[in-house]
Amino acid sequence: MKKISYILSIALFSFTSCSLFEIDNKEVPAETIQGEVVDVETGEPVLTDQGSEGIRVRLTEDSWGENVTPNPDFFCMPDGTFQNTKLFKGTYHIRIDGPFIPLMREDERGVPLADESQIVNISGVTKVKFEVQPFLKIEWVDEPEVINGKVRAKVRVTRAVSEEEFRNKIEPMGGYSSSFQNITDIQLFVSYSSSVGYRARDERWSNKIEYTGSAFNSLLGQTITIESTGTIPSGRVVFIRAAARINYDTPKGSGTRRWNYNEPLQLLIP
Amino acid sequence: MKRIYIVFLIGLFTFSGCADLDIPPPNVVGDETLFTNESGMKVYMARMYSRMPFEDFKYMAQWGIEYNAWLGSMGIEGTGEALNRDGICSAFTGERTPYWTEAFVLLRDANYLIETLPDYQSNFPEVTYNHYLGEAYFVRATVFYAMARRFGGVPLVTKVIRYPGDADELEVPRSSEEETWNQVLADFDQAISLLQPTSPERGYSNRYIALAFKSEAMLYAASVAKYNETVTGRLTGLGQKTGVRVMGFAAESAAAASRKYFKEAYSAAREVIASGRYSLYKKKWAAGDRDAQYQNMVDMFSDLASPENIYVKEYGYPTFTHGYDAYSAPFIFKAPLASGTCPTLDFMELFDGFDRYSNGTIKVTNGSSNTDGTYLMYDSPMDFFANAEPRLRAYVIFPGDVFKGREIEIRAGVYTGSAPISPLFSNYTYATAETRYQNLAAYTQGSKTLYLSAREGNGQEIVSYEGEDMTAAGANGPFYDNGEGCLTGLYGRKWLNPDPSFEAGEGKSAQPFILMRYAEVLLNAAEAAVELRLAGEASPDGTDLLQVATSAVNEIRERAGATLLAGSVTADDNGRNIVRKERRKELALEHKTKWDLRRWRVQHYEERDGFWGEYREKDAFSNNARYRFRGLYPFFSTQTGKYFFDARFQWVSLKTFEYNIVDYYFAIPGGEVSKSAVIDQQPNR
Repeated sequence: MKKISYILSIALFSFTSCSLFEIDNKEVPAETIQGEVVDVETGEPVLTDQGSEGIRVRLTEDSWGENVTPNPDFFCMPDGTFQNTKLFKGTYHIRIDGPFIPLMREDERGVPLADESQIVNISGVTKVKFEVQPFLKIEWVDEPEVINGKVRAKVRVTRAVSEEEFRNKIEPMGGYSSSFQNITDIQLFVSYSSSVGYRARDERWSNKIEYTGSAFNSLLGQTITIESTGTIPSGRVVFIRAAARINYDTPKGSGTRRWNYNEPLQLLIP
Repeated sequence: MKRIYIVFLIGLFTFSGCADLDIPPPNVVGDETLFTNESGMKVYMARMYSRMPFEDFKYMAQWGIEYNAWLGSMGIEGTGEALNRDGICSAFTGERTPYWTEAFVLLRDANYLIETLPDYQSNFPEVTYNHYLGEAYFVRATVFYAMARRFGGVPLVTKVIRYPGDADELEVPRSSEEETWNQVLADFDQAISLLQPTSPERGYSNRYIALAFKSEAMLYAASVAKYNETVTGRLTGLGQKTGVRVMGFAAESAAAASRKYFKEAYSAAREVIASGRYSLYKKKWAAGDRDAQYQNMVDMFSDLASPENIYVKEYGYPTFTHGYDAYSAPFIFKAPLASGTCPTLDFMELFDGFDRYSNGTIKVTNGSSNTDGTYLMYDSPMDFFANAEPRLRAYVIFPGDVFKGREIEIRAGVYTGSAPISPLFSNYTYATAETRYQNLAAYTQGSKTLYLSAREGNGQEIVSYEGEDMTAAGANGPFYDNGEGCLTGLYGRKWLNPDPSFEAGEGKSAQPFILMRYAEVLLNAAEAAVELRLAGEASPDGTDLLQVATSAVNEIRERAGATLLAGSVTADDNGRNIVRKERRKELALEHKTKWDLRRWRVQHYEERDGFWGEYREKDAFSNNARYRFRGLYPFFSTQTGKYFFDARFQWVSLKTFEYNIVDYYFAIPGGEVSKSAVIDQQPNR
C-alpha cells in the first residue's frame, strides 16, 4: 500500500507545472456601459425591439492590435437604451446598427465616407449617447379601440429624416436606388408580454399591411387604421405596438430591414 | 531492495536516449508505394473518396459533413418536403460542423496528387495517368463547389502548402465569390478533359460524371449571380480585412456572370444528354399502367444496373452500411426508432391527381374551402389517392398503402358524431396552428364525439365499433404526445428498403444512394435553357432552348405518370416555374431541394411566394420570417363506417422554421476568422 502511494506521489510530481502554484486571480469583468440612442433632431429615444431585428450594439476592444474579433453582439432594449455590466476595462470601439442612417459609411470600394461610431474608454459606469437620424417616426393617433376581441389602432407614419438628407448620405455608398425610401409595411404587434415587438409578437393576433413600390408615399402623415387578426380572449391584458420600415437594410448587405417603432400601449380586452 | 528496483526503473525511463532515428519508418506508406502502380493509386483514391463532401445517407443538413448515419432522414431542413420530431428538423441556416477544416484536408490530398504524380508518370499508360489527374481536379472542383455554395468566396488553395513556411505562403485569404466560381468551372473543365469516358473502377469518376456535376454547380453559380439581385441589399459586400468581394457579385458584373454560368450549365448538361449513355429508368414502366409506373419508380432507387444512374454511392453489408431504415421507416417497423421522414401535405400538393379548391389546395370537403361544407367520405383511406400521380406513390407511403407486405395504418382519430360532418375547426390559418385536435370541444367535453390517442399501446383510446374494439389512432399514429408516430399522416417511401424479409436496424442498411442521376441532368438543361431565354441569350449549341426544356419536362412527367405539358415551356417566369416545380417534385428527398431553394433565393419572407417552385401565397404558410407546414390527417367516422381527411398544420411536434436573408451565406467559423489575419467574416454578419 505504502509502495503504491510512493509511486503515485512520484508520478504526480512528474506531471506538474509551475502555473499549478499560481492563483488564478484575473478579475471578473465588472465594468458597465450604458448607452442611449436618440433622434438628433428631437432628442427623443429611438424605440426598437430587443432581438436581432432591433438596434444592434457591437463592441470591439481593439487595443490588442489588428484582427480582433468583436465582443458578442447585443441589442438595445425596446426603449432605445442599452447596457452591459460585464465588460473588461478597456478602450472599445462602439458601433450601432439600426433603423437609422448608418453611422459608418463607406463607398463601394471600401473607402470610408463618414464614421460617427464612438471610441470610449470603459471603466466603472460609462455612459454614451448616440445621436442618429432614424428613418421613420411612428405615432399613435387617438386611443386604440377594442371591438369583439380585435384591436383597431390608428397610427401615423412620417419620415424622421428628409428624402434629400437620406439621399445625400446613402447615395455615395453606391448602388443607390430611389426604391430604398419606399415604406414597405406597417406592422401591428400584439402580445401578452410588455416587451411586445417583432420577437415577442403573438402570431395569432399580430397583423400587417404591406405596400408595393412607392404606394405608401401618399399616405405619409395620414392616419392609417390597422386591425389585429383572430380573436383575443376577453378579460386578458395585452400590449400592442406598431412599427414600419423602409426598403433599406442595415448594415448594408445584411438584408435585415429594421423597423422603427412607437411606444407600447397596454389594453384590457373587455 | 524492491523499492530500489522501482526507483531505478523510474529513473531509467527518465533518462531517455537522444540517438537520431533516420530510418524511414517501414509502416508508413510512401509515394513510391502509392504512385507506382494501380493498386497503390486505388488506396489513394479510396482515401480521397471517403472524404468527399457528398450528401447521402450519412449527411444531416443540421450537422454538416460528419459522415454520420445517425437519425438518417431526408428533406427535413425546412424545405417543405418532410418533417421530423427532433431539433434536426430546422431551417438550413448553418451546419454544426462547418465544411471548412475537412475541405482543406481533402484539397491537400488532391493538390498533392496533381503536383506529385507527374514524377511517376512513366508508371502508367497515358490514358490512366490523365484519368488520375482528372480525378484530382474532379475532387478539387467538388470541394470548391461544396464550399462556394455554403460561404460564397473561399480561400482558393490550389497548391500544396509546405509547413513550416512563410506567413504569406501559409495564409490564403478568401477570394471573391466570382473567382471562386470561376475556379470551380476551371477545375471541372480540367477534369472533363482528362477523365476517361467510363469509370475504370466502380466508384471512380468519369467524364460524364464530371459534366453532370458541372451543370449542377454552374446552375448554382448562375442563379446566385442572378437572384442575389432580387434580395434586399443585393447580398454582396467587401471583406473587412482584404477589401475583396468575398460575398456576392459586383452590380456591373452580376448579369454577365449569370449568363456565362447558365451557358456552361446548359452545354455541360447537353453533352451528357447527347452522349446517349444514360436514359430514364423505365424497366417496369408501361404506358397507362399506374401500378407499373409506381413500381418502376420504387425499384429505380435500388437497382444498381439502372441506366439512369450517373454517380452512385454504394454500401455493402456488413462492412459499409448506414441506418436509414432504422430511423425513417413507419412506426410498426420501429428499429430502434421510426418516423424520421414524414412528408407534408404542402409537398403532396405539388403532384397531380387530387381534387382541389380554387386556391390550389387539396379538397377535403364538398364546400369551396376547407372550412366550408362537409367532409368528403371515403370507404378506405386509399380511395382518396386513387388518382394520385404514380411518382408520388413511389416517394410517399399513403395511409392504408402497403409497405414491406404490411398495410400501413395511419389514423389521426375516430369520430363518433353524426354525418355529414362539418369541418372540425372553424379556422385553419397559420396563426391558429397551435390549436390542436385535443383542444377541440368534441374531444374535451363530456359528450365526446372525437377520440384521439396520446400514445401507442396502453395510451390508445378505445372506441367500440360494430361490436369490436377499435383504437382511436392507427397502428402508426399519429399520437398526439409521441412524436415517434407519424407526424403528418404520410410517410416517406423513397430510399427505404422495400424487401419484406429485410430486418432493419442501426448499421444494417446497405441500399445505394444515387448522388447524380439522368433526370437531374435533364432538369439542369431545362432550367438553364429557360433562364438563357429569359436573359435573351442565343442557344450555345444551336438547339431550340424551349424545345429542350419542354421535352425534358415531358420525358420526366411521362415516366412519372404525370400529366404532360399542354404546350411548350414559355420564356417567362411561368415557364421557369414549370421547370422549377418539376425539379422540386422529381428530386425531392434527395438532399437537393434545400440547395435549389437557396440558389433561387426564395426562402426569406419577401420572396417566399416562389418557395414551392410555383406561385403560392406566402401568407398561407408563413408569418414574416417564420413558416410552417401542413399534414393530412385521416379520421374514421363510426356512424358511416367511412374515412374523411382533415388538412391541418403539423399536429404533432409542430415545427416553426425561420429563415432570414443573412442565412443565404453561412457564417465563416468564428475561430478561423479570429486566428487569421486574412480570413474575412461575411460582410453582412
